[in-house]
Amino acid sequence: MGILRFILRRLMFAVVLIVGVSAIIFFLVNAIGNPVAMLAASQPNATEDSVAELTRYYHLDQPAWLRYLLWLWNLARLDFGSSITYNQPVAQMLAIWGFETLKIQIPAILLALGLAILIATIASRRQGSRLDFGVMSTALLGQSLPAFLMGVLLILVFAYWLGIFPSYGAYSTRTLLLHSSLADGLWHMVLPVAMLTFFNTATLTLLLRANMVEVLRHDYIMAARASGLPERRIIFGHALRNAIIPVLTYLGILFGLMLATAPVTETVFTWPGLGFLYINAIQQLDYPVIMGESVVIAAMLVLATLATDIAYVLIDPRIRLD
Amino acid sequence: MTAPLLDVEALSIEFQTPSRKVRPVDGVDFAIGRNQTLGLVGESGSGKTMSSLGLLRLVPRPGRIVGGRIGFDGQDLLALSEPEMAALRGRRMAMVFQNPAYSLNPLLTIGRQLGEIVAWHERLGRADAEARVADLLGLVGIADPGARLRQFPHELSGGMKQRVCIARALLCDPWLILADEPTTNLDVTIQAQILDLLRSLKERLHTAMLLVTHDMGVVARMADRITVMYAGRVCETADARTIFRAPLHPYTIALLESVPRADRAYDRGRRETLPVIGGRLPDMTHPPAGCRFHPRCPEAIAECSRVLPLATPVAPGHVVSCIRRGSASIPVAA
Repeated sequence: MGILRFILRRLMFAVVLIVGVSAIIFFLVNAIGNPVAMLAASQPNATEDSVAELTRYYHLDQPAWLRYLLWLWNLARLDFGSSITYNQPVAQMLAIWGFETLKIQIPAILLALGLAILIATIASRRQGSRLDFGVMSTALLGQSLPAFLMGVLLILVFAYWLGIFPSYGAYSTRTLLLHSSLADGLWHMVLPVAMLTFFNTATLTLLLRANMVEVLRHDYIMAARASGLPERRIIFGHALRNAIIPVLTYLGILFGLMLATAPVTETVFTWPGLGFLYINAIQQLDYPVIMGESVVIAAMLVLATLATDIAYVLIDPRIRLD
Repeated sequence: MTAPLLDVEALSIEFQTPSRKVRPVDGVDFAIGRNQTLGLVGESGSGKTMSSLGLLRLVPRPGRIVGGRIGFDGQDLLALSEPEMAALRGRRMAMVFQNPAYSLNPLLTIGRQLGEIVAWHERLGRADAEARVADLLGLVGIADPGARLRQFPHELSGGMKQRVCIARALLCDPWLILADEPTTNLDVTIQAQILDLLRSLKERLHTAMLLVTHDMGVVARMADRITVMYAGRVCETADARTIFRAPLHPYTIALLESVPRADRAYDRGRRETLPVIGGRLPDMTHPPAGCRFHPRCPEAIAECSRVLPLATPVAPGHVVSCIRRGSASIPVAA
């Protein structure tokens, strides 16, 4: 019962958050300018009639507050409206472009978690050794390097110099035209996933190593050793389990913000995902798309936080909800 | 006399960092017979805990055992391979730690973390292992063991946790229990209960025990023999009666005098003051030359800083290392 009430309360909070976030973004975008006017300026042969029709179609002749309420009303019925520049339903666009984003973000987070567990475990057991020092320095460097710089370096080395991986896009043009190919899709994923993985691994490793070093000093680890348990089980069954608890929060943030951080990766690799779409929509003042994506980002963050809290309860018996 | 169960000779543990070298345990000897309890007594930092971890070969890094011999049931533990040693830990020699609040994994149920140990050593299935854990929990006086199996450490009181830790040490019928200050972190009333429990279990299960403590009252109740340590070296070893009735080493004497007694009134200036040992434990990075106790010793002479006293028998079963008591000695390098 407790857990259902907890989830319900969080979802109610999510609604409040989404209304607040969307209102701020709506009026900000509105303050920047009129999307139809921008569209008309880029089309020399647009007639006054068509401009007027578009303006009416998107209710741009109405006051901003009324348009916001209309947008909110439609959202309540799960209608995200349609894009001004792409002339497609926003919901459908979010699904298609969103898939491309998740395709690189989720593998990058899971891969990073696996790598961080491996590296942090080895480094923490040889605390103070050269290996540990090397791991720490690399991770610190990886964490402080701007994410796009790593992407550009990867493109330079693996796409431009070595020519092994493609430098942009999710599919080759030829594949798009002729037939779909899983191998081609995976091939294009390598560099963007590598860039994200490197960045995520750096932070996760630093966090996890610090926690492991602390946990390994605990008496219950010594007690497990004194009980003759094999080292493998002490590390994975006892130490890692305790050390990963504080890392859950960061993992939740990674999942929650993966759409919000997508623009950097997707701009570097010209990746047809939500991040790329977001930047484009902002440039075009395509407010239905901006609004739709902002709602999804806010909702993701709330869901990820909720999932983190539930994970805490499942792993640590000392923590209770509410 | 038959060979003792545990026979430690000249055990030395060293911590070496790039800048300095410390020996918290320096040439320590002691022995424990089967079914016997040895009290290992000394101030904090005298090397008691490190010695007991040394017996399990679990000295934390960067420390390591640099010399000596640990005879256990006829074999030298320092000659065993790591897997052989691991098979012995928890099965033949088990440990009860000082702070029960920290020595249980907070994330696992009692049944799970104790069951895991039996299952591993005895190759038992989960159900059999948990049945064994429940038996042991009953044996250490925990009511309703079946329900406790499913509880987490934070749901138990301090005394209850220490009972669980004792049960954990007894899971595989060990020959020797290392109890490191098992009652220091408990309430006084609980302390007495835990000590009684340890003593009765030891009698029933015919287990030997190394009881590490700084509390002379605890060893008086529990120990058959007593080894007194100071700054990483053994001062005196004898039967408990001898230590209390006729102590020889000046440190042992001072330690006993500093225990408050109920039949005396201590009142500064007027009648009697509780004697204390002046000064403090030496900095172990630069221990005093010669006998390590000489800077605080009321009987010290100039010779004490020039020679290292050796553990020397003065009577059957009574060993003292003090040149004022006629111990042998070796000159220290100047």
